[in-house]
Amino acid sequence: QRVLLLVASDVDALCACKILQALFQCDHVQYTLVPVSGWQELETAFLEHKDQFKYFVLINCGANVDLLEILQPEEDTFFFVCDSHRPINVVNVYNDTQIKLLVKQDDELDVPAYDDIFRDEEDEEEDSENESDGSEPSEKRRRFEEDIIERTMKRRQRREWEARRREILFDYEQYEYHGTSSAMVMFDLAWMMSKDLNDMLWWAIVGLTDQWVQDKITQMKYVTDIGILQRHVSRHNHRNEDEENSLSIDCMRIAFEYDLRLALYQHWSLYESLCNTSYTSANLKLWSVQGQKRLQEFLADMGLPLKQVKQKFNSMDMSLKENLREMIEESASKFGMKDLRVQTFSIHFGFKNKFSASDIVYATASLMENIEKEGPETTNFIKALDSLSRGNLDKLHQGLDLAKKQLRAIQQTVASCICTNLVISQGPFLYCSLMEGTPDVKLFSKPVSLCLLSKYLLKSFVCSTKNKRCKLLPLIMAAPMDVEQGTVIMVGIPPETESSDKKNFFGRAFEKAADSTNSRTLHNHFDMSIIELKTEDRSKFLDALISLLS
Amino acid sequence: NEHNERMKKFKNKGKDAAALRRQRMETSIVLRKAKKDEQILKRRSISFGLTDDVLSPGEEKRDEIIQLSLEEIVEAVNGSDGELQLQATQATRKMLSRQTNPPINQIIELGIIPRLVEFLTYADNAPLQFEAAWALTNIASGTSENTRAVVEAGAIPVFISLLSSPHMYISEQAVWALGNIAGDGPLYRDALIKCNVIPPLLALVSPTTPIGFLRNIAWTLSNLCRSKNPYPPLDAVKKILPVLICLLQHEDKDIISDSCWAVSYLTDGSNDRIQIVVDTGILPRLVELLASLELIVMAPALRAIGNVVTGTDEQTQAAIDAGILAVLPHLLRHAKPTIQKEAAWALSNIAAGPCQQIQQLITCGLLPPLVELLDKGDFKAQKEAVWAVANFMTGSTVEQVVELVHSGVLKPLLNLLSIKDSKTILVILDTISNLFLAAEKLGEVDRLCLLVEELDGLEKIEALQTHENNMVYRAALNIMEKYFSGE
Repeated sequence: QRVLLLVASDVDALCACKILQALFQCDHVQYTLVPVSGWQELETAFLEHKDQFKYFVLINCGANVDLLEILQPEEDTFFFVCDSHRPINVVNVYNDTQIKLLVKQDDELDVPAYDDIFRDEEDEEEDSENESDGSEPSEKRRRFEEDIIERTMKRRQRREWEARRREILFDYEQYEYHGTSSAMVMFDLAWMMSKDLNDMLWWAIVGLTDQWVQDKITQMKYVTDIGILQRHVSRHNHRNEDEENSLSIDCMRIAFEYDLRLALYQHWSLYESLCNTSYTSANLKLWSVQGQKRLQEFLADMGLPLKQVKQKFNSMDMSLKENLREMIEESASKFGMKDLRVQTFSIHFGFKNKFSASDIVYATASLMENIEKEGPETTNFIKALDSLSRGNLDKLHQGLDLAKKQLRAIQQTVASCICTNLVISQGPFLYCSLMEGTPDVKLFSKPVSLCLLSKYLLKSFVCSTKNKRCKLLPLIMAAPMDVEQGTVIMVGIPPETESSDKKNFFGRAFEKAADSTNSRTLHNHFDMSIIELKTEDRSKFLDALISLLS
Repeated sequence: NEHNERMKKFKNKGKDAAALRRQRMETSIVLRKAKKDEQILKRRSISFGLTDDVLSPGEEKRDEIIQLSLEEIVEAVNGSDGELQLQATQATRKMLSRQTNPPINQIIELGIIPRLVEFLTYADNAPLQFEAAWALTNIASGTSENTRAVVEAGAIPVFISLLSSPHMYISEQAVWALGNIAGDGPLYRDALIKCNVIPPLLALVSPTTPIGFLRNIAWTLSNLCRSKNPYPPLDAVKKILPVLICLLQHEDKDIISDSCWAVSYLTDGSNDRIQIVVDTGILPRLVELLASLELIVMAPALRAIGNVVTGTDEQTQAAIDAGILAVLPHLLRHAKPTIQKEAAWALSNIAAGPCQQIQQLITCGLLPPLVELLDKGDFKAQKEAVWAVANFMTGSTVEQVVELVHSGVLKPLLNLLSIKDSKTILVILDTISNLFLAAEKLGEVDRLCLLVEELDGLEKIEALQTHENNMVYRAALNIMEKYFSGE
């Protein structure tokens, strides 16, 4: 039986896909891979293939809506859903025949109890009995066991039950968040089947790191999952530990590391990385003259010559590099940056090539959202997917170059938004809208890039504003999407606080605001907090949102 | 295959045991049925429950199951031990009250009905009276034969006297039983009336009567008004009507609904019967109820008013004066096809009136919804709308015909010529002939010809010349020869 593989456009999904592909190869399972960037493509892909396929695997899509409702599949069609989107739609959870969810056993789903949200048909039929269609009453009536009072009691109980159900579902569906990375879930599967390989482990690491880079999970969750993966890493890589000389050219080795939280620094210059990493740039407030001065002071404090700092990291003096991490950390904490060190993993390909997990995430994400057209829609997806294979270093390097461009673009846009006061408080949330004609605006019509920009901007804004209330607000960001069709893409992100649970309420809020104003919105993205909206409807939509959230 | 098996194991099942036994609602009907039967089995085992521990601790004592065989029931009912009589009667009542397959015939065959009727008279044993009344109610709720078994055991006078029981729950049960007997048809209905059921029944209606009780009374009253061939006796109707009018003022929708149905039965007859209802002055209230959002209220109100406008011109005028024309447009556009149909039927009867009434119909803006209905309404409603147009043509002035044509009636009317139903086609062709006659009076035949042609009516009429129905063929031919043979 051939399987159809529907894969969303995010790095975690790609990694999960790589693992599954490898497993399929082991078991000689035939499959067809179709990338899907949103609900519309998912539906189209399903309709196109439903006659030839009975088994569908959905990666990072499909869990958070009622799949059977939107796809209307035949009864002999089965869906295996591996998706980190939460909450999982309750029908998907309780369907035992057609929907198979791949979920990590210890993921807290907090699904409402079956009896709280579904009722037996018996009761429902009774209810519909009470609802007359206006036809003539029956000539004769039998009196049943329960008398009228009990019946009205029952009806009242039913009303109460329904009210409670609405409340439970509201609480359950109110916030959007993410569960364990799909790549990790897929790796767990491989491990349970005793088919896990070091490559698969690396993809699991990249999947988790993607969640961290995209700010999708809490710090706690990240550290816990890193711990889980670390055990696998030492299981897979211990034999090489003592004999580093035995490394061959085509060998790969994964290592756990406390590394610097500086984006791409090993493939860039330290200076560029410091300037374009959200954490350092926001904390030093690099968009201002003072900030630039602070950066100089910071470098001076470390005792690093500017010339060294500005040249390629690879070419830096070995002597400087030796204690570099410790030096940077020490100075950073003097400048209020206490969390510059992060737990992560790196990979060595042969002698020469070393990449940190976040390098791969940035590179792959940039390939996926490359705005330079290079052929059909799926080109970016395939290229990004390929870049994850260790044989494709050229694609990876191309991705790294694109990633640098992306980070620079983000940093420049953040700086100009802060300097020109484009972030406005709307009361219950902050709002920033990019104008058509802003440099790099095209890049930000892509969801992942726009989300990254929003997160960086919010971090920077929180560091720049003195208004204490504003520091606690979530942010809505809008960017032109399609000028001809007059649409904008809009994303809402949760507040930037240290204890943030990364839960996002904008998905539901967007839905409600659109409903109440009849705004022409499109919930096409698998994240409900990203929508497309007609530009003309934007102001009424925002007004509704403000009154909704106030 | 193995891979899928492994994936299944991976599913997070441990969380909720319920997930294992539940299925989504939308699985196949076969499955659903199987499940339902299972539930019936469950219920059965409870109602015949062997032990007390199947009951939840919260259940009251009176629901305790007394398990008796049919033989034991017969013995106990015929015996003289009061306690055993009660137990047996209750067991009987419980069997007859279960949702599915009540053993009505088996109980009748036991021959215990005369005894149960006798128990109704045991005024010093109210629980026994009540259980017997309930059991007999449910037996009478079955087929005509079942009802007969109760009546022939002499239940009618006994139940009527129970209406005056000092225990309200017993008189309520008697009302219910009598409703079932009356609902069997005119024969028993009139037997009840002859036994003077009406005065004690009406006496139960008071401002302090509980709503549930009033609902039962309203329904039983409606059954006393129900059925033609023959109609209920006039003097009985006259006694019931004032109370019905009173119940129509109630705010409970079930009470209003049954009272409305009663009025609709009373108006479903000759004009003198309609007149009795009109004379009570209830029409404004009925029109008011037409605007109700509750289907169970609005539907019978519409039926009643619809019956009234089948009456004389004066009776129809009374309905118009009560404001029916103001609500009809909404009803013609109602989402429910049955309502559209009934509303169109009422409209067709008003359109059959004199030109003054037709003028009121025009003034109240009924033409646009009529045209809409012809165009897009439910099929049955469309047929009624065709009748409305046909009736309009027969009583209207030439100016009113012009108004009708201007409202755009021609296009949907001609479109309907392609339906299958010959009778409706004939009515349409007849209407078209009448239109041409009116056009002749105005000297506008040519314009009408042109209009019919423009609306693709000509080819439709032409096509009907080959219709299998002889009358349709002739009517079509007649129009073709008279007005379209020029070229």
